[in-house]
Amino acid sequence: MTAPATLIRRPRIAPVWRRPLAIVGILFVSFWFITMIIVPFLPLADPLAQDFTPLSPPSGTHPFGTDILGRDVLSRTLFGSRATLPFAILLVIISLILGSLVGAIAGYFGGVIDEIIMRIADLVFAFPTIVLAMVVAAALGPGITNAVIALALISWPNYARVIRSLVLSARNQEYVVAGRLLGAGPLSSLRRDILPNVASPMLVLAMLDLGSQILLLSGLSFLGLGAVPPAAEWGSMVGDGVQQFSNWWLAAFPGLAILTVVVGFNFIGDTLRDSLDPRSANAVTQVNA
Amino acid sequence: MKKKKVAAASIALVTAIAIAGCANGASTDAAAKTLVFDTTFDLKTSDPGRAFELTGQTIDKAIYETALTFDKGDLTKPVPQLTTYKLSDDQKTLTLTLTGTHTFSSGNPVTIDDIVFSYQRLQAIAGNPSFLLTNLSTNTPFTITKTSDTTLTITTDTPYPALPYILANPSLGVLDSKTLQKHGGTNTKDDASETYLNTTSAGSGPYQIESLDVKTKVVLTANPKYAGTKPAYSRVVFQNVLSPSQKTDIQGGQAQLSVGLNSQQVAGLASDTIKVLTSTSPNVGYLWLNQDPAYSGGITNNPQFTAAVRTGIDYSGVLAVAGNGAIQPGGIIPTQFLGAIKPDATNTFDLAAAKQSLAASGYSGQTLQISYPTDFTLDGVEFGTLAQKIQAQLQAVGIKVELAGLPITTLLQNFRAGKVQAGLMYWGPDFPDPSDYTTFSPGNPVGLRAGWTADQSPAVTAARKAAEAAVGDARAAAYETWQREANKAGVFIALLQAPRNYVTTGGISNVIPNAVWTVDVALIK
Repeated sequence: MTAPATLIRRPRIAPVWRRPLAIVGILFVSFWFITMIIVPFLPLADPLAQDFTPLSPPSGTHPFGTDILGRDVLSRTLFGSRATLPFAILLVIISLILGSLVGAIAGYFGGVIDEIIMRIADLVFAFPTIVLAMVVAAALGPGITNAVIALALISWPNYARVIRSLVLSARNQEYVVAGRLLGAGPLSSLRRDILPNVASPMLVLAMLDLGSQILLLSGLSFLGLGAVPPAAEWGSMVGDGVQQFSNWWLAAFPGLAILTVVVGFNFIGDTLRDSLDPRSANAVTQVNA
Repeated sequence: MKKKKVAAASIALVTAIAIAGCANGASTDAAAKTLVFDTTFDLKTSDPGRAFELTGQTIDKAIYETALTFDKGDLTKPVPQLTTYKLSDDQKTLTLTLTGTHTFSSGNPVTIDDIVFSYQRLQAIAGNPSFLLTNLSTNTPFTITKTSDTTLTITTDTPYPALPYILANPSLGVLDSKTLQKHGGTNTKDDASETYLNTTSAGSGPYQIESLDVKTKVVLTANPKYAGTKPAYSRVVFQNVLSPSQKTDIQGGQAQLSVGLNSQQVAGLASDTIKVLTSTSPNVGYLWLNQDPAYSGGITNNPQFTAAVRTGIDYSGVLAVAGNGAIQPGGIIPTQFLGAIKPDATNTFDLAAAKQSLAASGYSGQTLQISYPTDFTLDGVEFGTLAQKIQAQLQAVGIKVELAGLPITTLLQNFRAGKVQAGLMYWGPDFPDPSDYTTFSPGNPVGLRAGWTADQSPAVTAARKAAEAAVGDARAAAYETWQREANKAGVFIALLQAPRNYVTTGGISNVIPNAVWTVDVALIK
């Protein structure tokens, strides 16, 4: 007896996640997350040990070559994920919480509070991101923690602006008004009725933002305002490589690392947007059909 | 029909390009006497009274003659150019006597009045090099006096044996005062001749300005009135080119001389046609350890800890970072200058001795923070790379080291205020004389930046005074003693002088490195 064909259950993967770009994105990001976790257990040279011949080109012993201080570039590139990914995620979470809180308050209460908050946001928007980040990071002093603080201080308005507009449209919905009439206070209304309805767009925004935050963090390190030497960090490795232009491997491999992780997060963010936005999801289904 | 026209036009274009290519080749003979010199400009002006950057010094050396000069690359003894010199026994008066006949590019003869005018103008206009004609010990300007039609005197209030060495600086180039006065030139602060001097040179040197753009290109042509040996190249083109492009220019034959490639860039570049000449920069990179208890963190003012740092640095490893040609000066005075010393026991790597000193210091794991400039290099060598090398070496001794990279302006501000525990910096010579370095003595300006007061090291102060008072042949020994005393105290640790690479192609020769003006283009053959 064979089971009827109709009963065979295929894995339930939404069509959008089966697109090549989504798969590439997931592969890149998974690779770097797994690397971040297992890299200390891999048989690699110490990323800080200056034990090898300086500036050796890629070879069997050192597949990514060595840098000017005789450190293994492969080891430094893989360890670099630990200096970038956790901080980028932390940065996005801080910006998301801060921006959402401020944006929700502005959108829900409106009036003077809204005006004050959004004008402050405009003020932050008025400066080019990297320039403002440089100013704050320079004031706080170099260091990856200070770079995260600097970027969080300038990244929250993105989230605040989006969540404000979402809360503005949601707060007059009948279910919210009904909740208020049933005696819900502003905070519980925001938490119970509004938050679940604005969470999806915020998740997409956060995922798309991860890529750009990694770029900004690396940019600050490139400029000497992020990770402090001798830490292995992609941005500062690219910065060092630019000084030694004829030794292409110094900048190329950490540059590739930045490229793959940023592209990966962007592809996942795009896919997430398509899968959570009903209109795009329909469009994709129709195209696939 | 249309296709035929396109084909004809294409053939015509190809022919035109071919002819143009031939024309270029044919003009090679006529342009054979042109030297193209690639370097990265730091040029602000070619007015000798205002220029004090490396590129400006090279260009002014080609345009202007000075009263005294140095023979090729030898900076240990000034030699006559426009004048001979005699320093009085008390070292306070220098008498210059005009020698031979020299003529400006305008045709005017060089006179004593021109020299007096040029020196007084330099003092009056308060340009970057104006301090050269000031007694730095007492901060009083030298007195310049014409004593006859062929002599002048330069007098000062304290003995100043460095005087003849200062006069060889291209910033003290002698200007054609008659021509300059017609174009706004004066020997007062109202001088307005800088613009004129950036378009038309007023010197008696081997070259004169054809065109000058401080950002891109400077073209010099031979001065027909020059009294010395005619230069081999009648035209010199200085191009402002970043180092990666300098390399391709040299390889492609678009430039015959390049100064600015670092050791990694010149590696493997030498061939039958491309020659690499490596000399040593006079800039000394050093590490300082603050002696002020308020900023020492309880460690850097401890003599045993200082000794541990000095012997814990593997100087050969530091030199390897800078590449072939880098050398370790024994003291703060660079190896090319009078009074330079070789490294002694206080600054030679000895890991066991370093660990012993560290144990004796009572060090208990405090952090040594080493600051360094992030946006400035020591002749192409990143301070950050040097800092990481030293950090790894000192950690091997057992010292916990933290690095703090800062923009050079911020670091200098903190350093000058004496508030930095330890750091990397460099000193470039203002003039090639050891007296320029006594500022590193306790109680003197740079010494105080490291919190080093005169009462902390009386032996060093006494040796400094003896060196400043020494005359003639005794000077070298006196400055050597001063540096050895300073090394014992250990506040400033001279680390390295980076290599400076001169790359040539096209069969040019006689490129002679000079620590003051980089290269004298008039000598190139």
